[in-house]
Order: sequence, then structure tokens, then C-alpha cells
Amino acid sequence: MYAPATGKAKPVEEEVITEENVFERPDETIAFFPGQVLKDGYVSTFILIACVVLSYAAPAPLTAPANTATVTYVPRPEWFFFFYEQMLMFFPGYALISFGAVVVPTIFIGLLFAVPWLDRSPQHYNAISRPFASVVGVLVVIVIVLNMLLAVSRIMNFPTS
Amino acid sequence: MIGRIRTQTSEASQFLVDWMEHRTGIVTMLEHFLYEPVPKRGAWLYTLGSAVLFTITLQFLTGILLLFYYVPTTDHAWNSVSYIMNDAYFGQLIRGIHYWSANFLMAFIGLHMGQVFFSGGYKAPRELNWVVGVILLLLVIGLAFTGYLLRWDQDGFWASVVGMKIGSYSPFVGGYVVHFLLGGDAVGPATLSRFFAIHVWLLPAAIAPLIGAHLYLLRRHGVFGSEFEYTDRLAKLHERQRMEEYARYETVEEDEGEPYVGRRDRADREGYEEE
Amino acid sequence: MAELQKDPITRSDFLGFGVMGAIVGAILTIPPVAFVLSPIIKTDVLGESDVGTGWVEVGPVSKVPAEEPTHFVVSFPIQQVYGTKAVENPNVQDPNEKFTLRNAIWLSWKAPIKEQGRQGSNGDIIGKPERPKILDQKSSGFTESERKEIMSKLNVLSNSCAHLGCPVRWNEEKQLYLCPCHGGLYDINGGWVGGPPPRGMYRYTDAEVREDGKLYVKHKFNIEPGLNKQHPYVV
Repeated sequence: MYAPATGKAKPVEEEVITEENVFERPDETIAFFPGQVLKDGYVSTFILIACVVLSYAAPAPLTAPANTATVTYVPRPEWFFFFYEQMLMFFPGYALISFGAVVVPTIFIGLLFAVPWLDRSPQHYNAISRPFASVVGVLVVIVIVLNMLLAVSRIMNFPTS
Repeated sequence: MIGRIRTQTSEASQFLVDWMEHRTGIVTMLEHFLYEPVPKRGAWLYTLGSAVLFTITLQFLTGILLLFYYVPTTDHAWNSVSYIMNDAYFGQLIRGIHYWSANFLMAFIGLHMGQVFFSGGYKAPRELNWVVGVILLLLVIGLAFTGYLLRWDQDGFWASVVGMKIGSYSPFVGGYVVHFLLGGDAVGPATLSRFFAIHVWLLPAAIAPLIGAHLYLLRRHGVFGSEFEYTDRLAKLHERQRMEEYARYETVEEDEGEPYVGRRDRADREGYEEE
Repeated sequence: MAELQKDPITRSDFLGFGVMGAIVGAILTIPPVAFVLSPIIKTDVLGESDVGTGWVEVGPVSKVPAEEPTHFVVSFPIQQVYGTKAVENPNVQDPNEKFTLRNAIWLSWKAPIKEQGRQGSNGDIIGKPERPKILDQKSSGFTESERKEIMSKLNVLSNSCAHLGCPVRWNEEKQLYLCPCHGGLYDINGGWVGGPPPRGMYRYTDAEVREDGKLYVKHKFNIEPGLNKQHPYVV
């Protein structure tokens, strides 16, 4: 049940593979250094170069100084809050705003914490062999992406006058 | 000559290594850290997690650098960011890395989470690492929210106003939440000071040890990429299970005569016995 | 490493830990929590406000046209972080030392409500805005009754959307206030017409026209105090 860390079980030859220990060590391993470190390094270097290129190609934005008395400015959230902002559109009125803006996300985060205990079958790692969890996960992703697209289309179609 | 220098150098460095090992134990620690066997097939998948680690490290580094010029007051914040962008050497680069790696961070956190979720990596015994990961996600969202106000420009300011107003709709504690964030009952210098304190000290101080815990738990239980890391072992297991199953049928046959065995099963078994 | 040594905890040890924990715990928790939460204590428990309670000048009401709303910018003195002295001392020369909260105020003439709307389904049915006749003749030096008439016909609205606080603008095409964030709509009286806002626009409750023909307001709004125990703030 409580498998020790990878590679710390008995040597391969003596081991009898059972339901309990099958996931104790993977088929093939590499040493963390240099194999994994090298791959991590490639990705990290790519990110760093992308950051450098982007900071000159698309400099970090700085709009006009904050003005509390504006009547023309159109506030927009950052892209990773788009789906959340769009969700607020669907919850009008006092009771529903509380519900949509605070209660639903809190419940969602609570469920996120509980994921390991909601899906406990120890031998079903494969996404296909635990369809319920996978379908819920896919639905969450779809809802988030659709909301983001809705937000983008709403922002693009906002009347400029 | 060169050979002698090399021997002497290697002797000296060997002495240094031994000395450090005896005084600190760091060499063994490094060896444990570097030569840990990790699953081979999913290596590129695990770079999602390390990309998150790398981008958040960039956040820490460039964030510290930005503090050399940034002034967290309502009348100077925008000017100081503008100074960083236009006058400080490489200011545009330092702030650009802070900005863009923050965006990459959010994207990679999403991908990393998705990968762990769909591969079932959160299952026993790794539940607590998932929990730590969700806490880290919340802290990063807090950092993204508080960081946006600090530049004190229209974008950041109004996004924060909306965010705080959302907080005011929390059931029962809405007023407390919004007054805590505002630092009073109106948006003003106290709001900026608060967001600065939260963004620069409170959340990073909370996030750093949790990253340590995340990595420690990762190492304790090993990386779990996906079931495809274990294809061969699963195949062996299933084969052994099937063999046991047939052995059971054999004994049943001996005891009670011919049991009902489907045609296909029989064919399978015969084929197996021939091997 | 030596073996673990597990000495028993005696009664006096236990007492020592307890006393120590109580003293250190009290010093390191109560003052810091009160320090960080002082805005909550000041505003929610003691009912204080950072924004000055005095009258602030808005502008001449004669500049408000008959059909369209118009906006003015007001600056409320605010006491936050910089402390009381810098705000209240009238001799402060450096304007940076005196932090103000700048608000935009929408002014318009009330349109008579012909039929009360229902929140959540439709807005009020309204007529044309009525500008007091007296403003055609003079722009200052109003008598008491004239001032009363002007105030009864004037809409003094905050530009902060009642939904999530975004700055609302006047949309000439639709003849409605439009919130740019989630498309909340209000009529010229600030009444709810459509979209997610839970109520109409915030109204300044303390507003008066003086003899010089200018409008003065205090930073107070018509916020229902009992509603869900929330205190939606206005920027």
C-alpha cells in the first residue's frame, strides 16, 4: 500500500510483481543527472530566450497612470482571469453574484483539494480506466476554454464609442 | 610538468572534496540528489514541472532586482516603473522577464496540473503533494492579483478594483475582506502599501518553503509520470495473474472433472501451455 | 547518531512550556493581527472613514444640459497612511502631501418615472429629463425654494458600477449608462435597466446647491446597510 520511493525496493531479479508493488519502480529509468537535468535545461533555456525576445518584441505594458475619476477607460483582466471574469456575466443580482463569484470558486477549490480522496482506486492511473474522473476533468477544461473564448469575443466586440 | 600539475590539482581538489564531505556531508547529499533514478519514458513530460520551478525562480530573481528602483507609493509608483522601463540599464529586460515569465508561469502551472490530473499522479501515496500543489496554485494566483496593482497604471488599478469588489461579495465577511484589502474604506495609499507587502513579502515567504515541501515529497515518493512508464511490469503482472488463474482451473478440473471453459479460453490456455 | 533519548515531561516542565507558550504566543499573535487588521477594526467596528466628511465642490449646476448627463471630477481629502496632520493642516503647500480621492460624478436632470420597473426583468419606463426653468434665467444667486427645486430634479450619481465597480460611461446611441466590464445598463436616473448589476447606480445622498450656483457633495452613498451584511464600497 505505502510504496517506498522509486528504485528503493528490492533488486529487480528477486522481485515478484504483485498488484501492490507493480508501480513501485518504472520499467526503464535514467539518472536524474545528466538525463533529466539536460531536458529540463533545454526547456528552461527556451523559456528564458522567449522571455528575453518577448521583453523587446512586446515590452511589458504600462498604461496611463491610475485615474480613479475616468469615465472612458475599459477595464480588462489578465488572460488567465478571463474565464472567471466571463463567468460573472452569468450571475446577476446580489444573491447570485455572491454565489458565482465567491461560493462556486470556493467549492471548486475545495473539490480540487479533495481530488486524491474523491478518486481513490489505487490501481487505476490510466485516464481511460477511470472514466468518471477523466470526463469531469475534460469538462472543466472545456468550460474554462469556452469561457475564455467568450470573454475574448466580448472584449473584441465591445462598442468603442 | 603538466601531468604533475594535474596530479597536484586533482590531489588538492580531492582533499577539498573530502574535507567538505567530512565537515558538511554535502557531497553525499549532492550525489543522492543528482543520481536518483527517474522514469525514462516520460522525461519530457516532467519538464512541465521543472519549467514551473524555473519560471518562479525567475520571478524571485527579477522581483528582487525590480525592488532596487520601484517605489511603493501612489505618487511615485507609476513613475518608478516608467523609470525602470525607460532609463535603467536593461530595465526593459528585467521587467520584461518578470512580466513574461509570470505569464509563462500561469500557463505551465495549468499544463502541469492537467498532466498530473490526467495521469492520476495524485493517487496514494502522493495525495499530500497534490494538496501542497493546490496551495501553491492559490498562492501564485494571489501573487498575480497583487502584482497587477503595483504598477499603478489604469490596467492594474481597475483590475484590482474589480477584484476587490468581487471580494466584497463574499457571503458574511464581504465587508471585512474588502476593507482588509483596501487598508481602509477607500482605495488610496494604504491599498498600494498593502498589496506591496503581500506581493513582495507575505506570499513569497509562504511560497518558498512550500516549493521545498513539494520537491521533498516528489523525491520521497518518486516521479509518477503515467501508466506507460510501467507497461512492461503491468504486462508481466497480468501474465502472472493469468497463469495463476489457469492453475486454479487445473486444480478444479482434477477435483471435479471437466468444468465449463469457454472455447476461446481453452484455445488460449492450450496455446500458452505449448509455450 | 546517538539513540533517541526520551525523558519524561514532568509537571513543572509542562507548566513551564505552558507559561512560555502563553506569553510568547500572546505577544506574537494579538498585536500583529490587530496591526494588520486595523482597517477592519476602524471601519467595521468603530465606523470610522478615511475619506473626509466635509463638503466638496463639484461645479455649477447650470452646466448640466437638458438631455444628456455630464460628468464632473471631485477630490475628496483622504486620510490614509500619511496620517491626520498632512490632510487636516490647511497650510500644506505640497499637493503630493495631501492625498485626495478623485471621483467622477455624473450629473443629469431627473426623468419622471411613468411606470416602476421590476429589478431583474425590466427597468423603469421613463419620460424626458426635466431641466428646471429657472436655470435658463440665471446660473447663481438662487433663492431657497429655487435651490430646493433644483435638488429635487438633479441626479447626483457615482460613476462606480454597482456590479463590480468599473467606471460607467454614457452611451448616446442607447441613451443609457453602460458599464464596460460586464455590460450593466442604467437609465438616466441611474435606475437598473439590464445586465448583471444587482441594483441601480450609487447616488450621493448628501448634496446641495448653494447660492453661488455650485453643487457640493459629501462622500456618502445610498448603500442599503442590511443587505446581506455587505458593504459594497464605492471607488
